[in-house]
Amino acid sequence: MEYTFQKSLGLSKKKFFRAPQWELKLAVRILIGFLVLYFLVAFLFLGIGLFFILRKEFPEQDPVSIINQWVIFYFGADILARYFLQNPPVTDVKALLIMPIPKKRIIRGVMLRSLSSIFNWFSVLLLLPFCIVVSIENGATYFIWSWFFAMLLITGTNNFLVFLINKNKNVAIGTLFFLAGGYLLEYYMNVPVISSIGIGFEELYNQPLWILVILLFFLAVLQLTATFLKKELFLDKGLSKKKEKIVGSKLYFLDRLGPLGGLLKNDIRLIIRNIRARQVVLVTVFFLFYGLIFFTQEIYLERPGILIFAGIFITGGFTMTFGQYIPAWDSEYYSMLMSQNLNYKRYLKSKLYLLMFSVVISMVLSLPYLYFGEKVMVLIIGCGIFNFGLGALISLFSGAYNATPLKLNVKAKAFENTKGFNLTQFIFAIPKLVLPVLVFYIPYFFLGFNAGILGLITSGLGGFIFRNQILGWIEKIYQLKKYETLAAFNK
Amino acid sequence: MIKAYSLTKEYGGEKVLNLSELVIPKGELFGLIGNNGAGKTTFFSLLLDLIEATSGTVEINNIMVHQSEAWKPYISAFIDESYLIGYLTVEEYFYFLGSLRGKTEVEIDSWIKSYEPFFNEEILNQKKYLRDFSKGNQKKVGIVGALIGQPEVIVLDEPFANLDPTTQIRLKSLIKEEAINNGTTFLISSHDLTHVTEVCDRIVLLDKGTVLKDIKKTSSTLKELEQYFSN
Repeated sequence: MEYTFQKSLGLSKKKFFRAPQWELKLAVRILIGFLVLYFLVAFLFLGIGLFFILRKEFPEQDPVSIINQWVIFYFGADILARYFLQNPPVTDVKALLIMPIPKKRIIRGVMLRSLSSIFNWFSVLLLLPFCIVVSIENGATYFIWSWFFAMLLITGTNNFLVFLINKNKNVAIGTLFFLAGGYLLEYYMNVPVISSIGIGFEELYNQPLWILVILLFFLAVLQLTATFLKKELFLDKGLSKKKEKIVGSKLYFLDRLGPLGGLLKNDIRLIIRNIRARQVVLVTVFFLFYGLIFFTQEIYLERPGILIFAGIFITGGFTMTFGQYIPAWDSEYYSMLMSQNLNYKRYLKSKLYLLMFSVVISMVLSLPYLYFGEKVMVLIIGCGIFNFGLGALISLFSGAYNATPLKLNVKAKAFENTKGFNLTQFIFAIPKLVLPVLVFYIPYFFLGFNAGILGLITSGLGGFIFRNQILGWIEKIYQLKKYETLAAFNK
Repeated sequence: MIKAYSLTKEYGGEKVLNLSELVIPKGELFGLIGNNGAGKTTFFSLLLDLIEATSGTVEINNIMVHQSEAWKPYISAFIDESYLIGYLTVEEYFYFLGSLRGKTEVEIDSWIKSYEPFFNEEILNQKKYLRDFSKGNQKKVGIVGALIGQPEVIVLDEPFANLDPTTQIRLKSLIKEEAINNGTTFLISSHDLTHVTEVCDRIVLLDKGTVLKDIKKTSSTLKELEQYFSN
């Protein structure tokens, strides 16, 4: 029996179609497929439009030269995105190890399969139409196509570099520092780092023979990856779990909270010790900067109705992103929680405190927005109070309907974040976002800005004062959904 | 302590459990045996209110488990590895369970000392997360975790599977000691007839969801059971 690329692909196919609820997954895949299609078409148009935009904006320069100046950032971002999102498909090969298949073939299968990654397609789809346009408009076909292949080779090199750096975050941090440092040196201290690299790419364009160097480099990385994989293809090497360092063991300050402290400690440890949770918290950090898009533009500053969105995201990023997966975060051991000496009230209360605590932290971290004026700050604080009192409760409520289990220590793949995605959560985004806007906008429309803010604050305080009653009501829904949730989590 | 009346569970019209009456008095060492699909885990899940009964009731200390949560202080269980929290260290896991039952970390630290022989130096102070422990060692942690806070009833599903022979022997004496010292009621399911007859004073044999035998242990019990299973 020969282990071929087709067989390797066939295994992936079976894994998908024989998974539980594959119909649902298929539906989600189709939805995501449309999303990917959208991006692909967008890139296609970007590729075609790029040439004309650049020629119009910088008529005295060759569009390819302009790209050459900046392309290092594209490749840097490519590496970073791959580091965070691309999973080398090495985990499925355990069963193949003891079969009569030469290791070389297994490795080839793994490496070929990795080429189908969406990141490679983006490069092709962006560059192919661009190069076609260039070759029609400029005519210098020979130069542009060798440049095109050089770019593809670099993309391919990135693809395999991910294998080599996958378990080493220093490389990712190094890349980030190199790009940021290069930019700062270039534009603030006049040290030509980025432009030297740009000249290198320009040389590659003008002197097609340089592609041989790129090719050599690509082949070297290819070979390196193959030998690396061959070495790692043992149960106690690359296929083994990495031993993790213990972090966050001292959280004594939470002991003061009594019985709730134990639950809160767990949640904090859950966040810092699991890949999936860390990814979600990273998104929260991005949400903190969300206001920069709106507050920097004059048009929005006169439309507080829209600014409310920014305020809600800044102060409630964690409540929304982390909150939507309550109780799925505990799905791996939910049966234990349900049969231990822990009633729903205490469980939900600890989650509510965590969410409320996160709003306070976000509000403190958002203080620098004071730079954009008092009005912006008042708006953020208003949104914060709303999220503190009511937003956290709404998130908790929506969680009762989320019975999709979550694998804690597994990365969510790019465009494959299907595990926690479901339609109900999508619908629940509406009260989370629209309600605060209404609460602000109606009094604002009739009585002005201050009345709108007062509306946010009163509803937040109302939620806070009646939290025990509302929590009791949410608890009933959790009780009602208990068996359903357990059955889904134990699948 | 535990009473089940006309308790049934159906999946798609097929009865997987049908108990007309089962009463387990306080302090009993109750053994549940039967082939795969006999309904052992289903019974435990109903007892812990993890699944909904098709008809009938289960009571713990006269509290119907599906009507209130007040039974939770009286019982604890270790069914499988999903009862562990993978991202905690052993000590943190014990402290967490302790916090649910009103024990401080200091109390847990001194309490855990008496279980050191059972752990065989492979569990405590390991500086790694529970998800990185071997199956057998995870089981040891889960079993001892279920003892925290001295609940009146402890449910153990297949406690002997995956354990090394030394630990199996130690587990047997551990269960007996807990029962003698604290009057704990144990509900133990097992495929290992020798172990379960050695530990338990009452054996219930399930077959396709119904009670086939309900016997007080005597010296001939093991023979009787072996004979049943070899037919």
